[in-house]
Amino acid sequence: MDRTGLRRRATGVTVALLAIVSIWGILQPESAAGELFWTATETGTIESSLRLAVPIALTAIGGLYAEKSGIINIGLEGLLIISAFVSVLVTDLLGPGQSTGIPPVVTFDLGGSTYTIDPGLQLLIPNIWVGLAGGVVASMLLAFLFGVICIRYQADQIIAGLAVWLIALGLAPFAAKVVYGQPSTAQVGTFDNWTIPVLSEIPVAGEILFDASPMVIIMLVSVPVAWYGLNRTSFGYWVRASGENPKALDTVGVNVDRVRYAAVLISGFFSGIGGTALSLGAVGSFSGAGQTMVDGRGFIAIAAYLFGNYNPFGAFAASYLFSGLQALQIRLQGIAPTEVFLMLPYLVVVIVLVLVGRTRLPEAAGEHYESGED
Amino acid sequence: MSRARDVLERLVGASGAERAVISVAALALSIVVGGLIVFVSGLGAACEAGANYHIAIPLPGSFEILLFDGRLSMFGFQSCYDPINVYEKLFIGAIGGLPWESGWQPTNFSMEVFLQRATLLLFTGLSVAVAFRAGLFNIGTQGQMVWGALTSAVAVLFVADFVPAGVAGTVILLPLALFAGAVAGGIWGAIPGALKAYADANEVITTIMLNFVAYYATTLLVREFFQDPQSTGGTQTRMVPVNSLLPSIPLGFQESRFSILALVLALVLAAVVYYVLWGTSFGFDVRTSGLQPEAATYAGVDAERTIVRSMTISGALGGIAGALWVLLANGRFLTGQEVPSLGFDGITVSVLAGNNPIGVVFGSVLFGVLKSGGNTLNFQTDVPPELVNVLSGLIILFVAMPEFFRLIGKYLGVGDEPAPAAATTDGGEEDG
Repeated sequence: MDRTGLRRRATGVTVALLAIVSIWGILQPESAAGELFWTATETGTIESSLRLAVPIALTAIGGLYAEKSGIINIGLEGLLIISAFVSVLVTDLLGPGQSTGIPPVVTFDLGGSTYTIDPGLQLLIPNIWVGLAGGVVASMLLAFLFGVICIRYQADQIIAGLAVWLIALGLAPFAAKVVYGQPSTAQVGTFDNWTIPVLSEIPVAGEILFDASPMVIIMLVSVPVAWYGLNRTSFGYWVRASGENPKALDTVGVNVDRVRYAAVLISGFFSGIGGTALSLGAVGSFSGAGQTMVDGRGFIAIAAYLFGNYNPFGAFAASYLFSGLQALQIRLQGIAPTEVFLMLPYLVVVIVLVLVGRTRLPEAAGEHYESGED
Repeated sequence: MSRARDVLERLVGASGAERAVISVAALALSIVVGGLIVFVSGLGAACEAGANYHIAIPLPGSFEILLFDGRLSMFGFQSCYDPINVYEKLFIGAIGGLPWESGWQPTNFSMEVFLQRATLLLFTGLSVAVAFRAGLFNIGTQGQMVWGALTSAVAVLFVADFVPAGVAGTVILLPLALFAGAVAGGIWGAIPGALKAYADANEVITTIMLNFVAYYATTLLVREFFQDPQSTGGTQTRMVPVNSLLPSIPLGFQESRFSILALVLALVLAAVVYYVLWGTSFGFDVRTSGLQPEAATYAGVDAERTIVRSMTISGALGGIAGALWVLLANGRFLTGQEVPSLGFDGITVSVLAGNNPIGVVFGSVLFGVLKSGGNTLNFQTDVPPELVNVLSGLIILFVAMPEFFRLIGKYLGVGDEPAPAAATTDGGEEDG
């Protein structure tokens, strides 16, 4: 069976399973399947599934850009860890719940007298949003480092990705301990929901879409934008060509390395929002014990875009599948021991990878491209 | 057929000296960058006065050549941490002081921790190296360790009631513990191996996912079936009987912490792994499938079976590490955060060693020092012991980019040698 066949089978199996549970659940609401179905379709469950999907889906979108361009970014987990931490740190240092004015008021001493430059008109940005920017910058810096190692210094992409992961896994708890004396940070609060007047009154859909965390809305906007960018713009075309046939792209005068840097930075950008969504979007703090609060979501994101066949919509659907399991776990405690639910998403990722097999990688993924110019 | 083998043998014959140079350079650079991180993070830490930097070359007696003594500041901030002092604590504290100082005992606590961690890392490093040689990334040594540890603890606790006390029991229990660990770890390793071989599931992701599954599954099993009734806090099994621990002969290490026998066993296994990889036809299959999967298949290697077998061996080594973690470090199975770091450090050890079993011996000694020194940091300084994990990541990073060192070498005029062997996905170069 060829790869497309495998994918079709994987999607088929998933859809069939969901359909069986749904139909059985509708017909027999008292059964286990019934409880599963009705819980999964509750507004509350959908809301929390969407919230939990944000880190995975955004990271998956970023990761698929990188992989499409020929750079397999296995270090996404590290990007999530670093941005989850830095966004909280920045928010905390600036003062949670307060705002930062841009441009800032500058005070300095000159020859004994004090001068103050007050721009008069300031744009007040809540510190939690500055924290988001901080997380995104941190993630993009680490992604850039990863890009330099892979593109400039031709490192093996898998090993470089593992290094990025392990560095972040050490650095975030290290820095948290320096600042807070423990591997976790202080509590700094979360984003307030965005409520759109009128529209949020619509039953179900209004509650879910128009009275939601800004992170959820960013994700819902990012998915189509990312799809459009990849499939309908010339940049997207370059990204795909850089992964499939870098030589051809080089021949028509596009710098392959530059496209790949851009794609890796995009993966850093989206992972940065994803990591922030994990810490500032849901809990309001960073916890760095063990595998940190990221707990493998970076790797789950890779599985998500493989399952979604490098399509942002597919990646989002797969992320929702994984996060839905997490949401159910929170709601269905008591049916089975907690651990069963906790391990379920990871098991499902393994099963998905088995069903999908190795997705047809972009032709030149994982390979360094040597332009003939130098 | 023989021609294919010739080509492969030549590919395999590349120099290991370059590899060693890269590893040492990567290590040195990681230590420098780690020192910078310590210094910079000291700027943000709170302390009364900045760290006093005392940099001197020690001479015999109490003399020294003073290079620098005072405080350093950056942008008006003084750093609270002195990287040199930190490294001194890290490396010297790891073995409990300098051996020629008075009062130093070869069996002191830090030495025990150092040797114990080095032994465990030798196993996890070998585990990762075997898979690497076959072109597979076994990130799942952690999960294999966890299963190995639980199975061996449970097996020993179950059988202990039926065997005689004392040394007679040891003769039965000890091999049983190691065997149980190896079997459980081997099975847990074989799963992602089979998924890779027959379903083409990416082993990097499956092994990491299975780590989480192993963690939750063992926690569940212990809580439901094997929980120590006397335990007040953690999820843990009962203590294994004393006669199942490795005897502390011939040196007087404390049984619950270290035994020379474990180290000897580890070294023997390193030699065995080396022999299997370079002295048997199975090892040849493993290495060639790692280097050139297509050529290996062409030369008649059963690719699927080789993948599963390599992952099984890799998992079994991880499982033995788990068994020894029970026998050497804790005396029981307990769920916690420490096992994972040993599994992950196995990756660094193996990458640093160029995936060579003999190199792994050196790598594990180095990381044993770092691990034990991390404890010292925790007790004696304000610098978080997580520094060791940062160093670990940096080492992998630098080992992965030989091109960087080549450019530096070129810049310094050392010579324009061809790019040395990188740590690569395809199993890497040989130095056997």
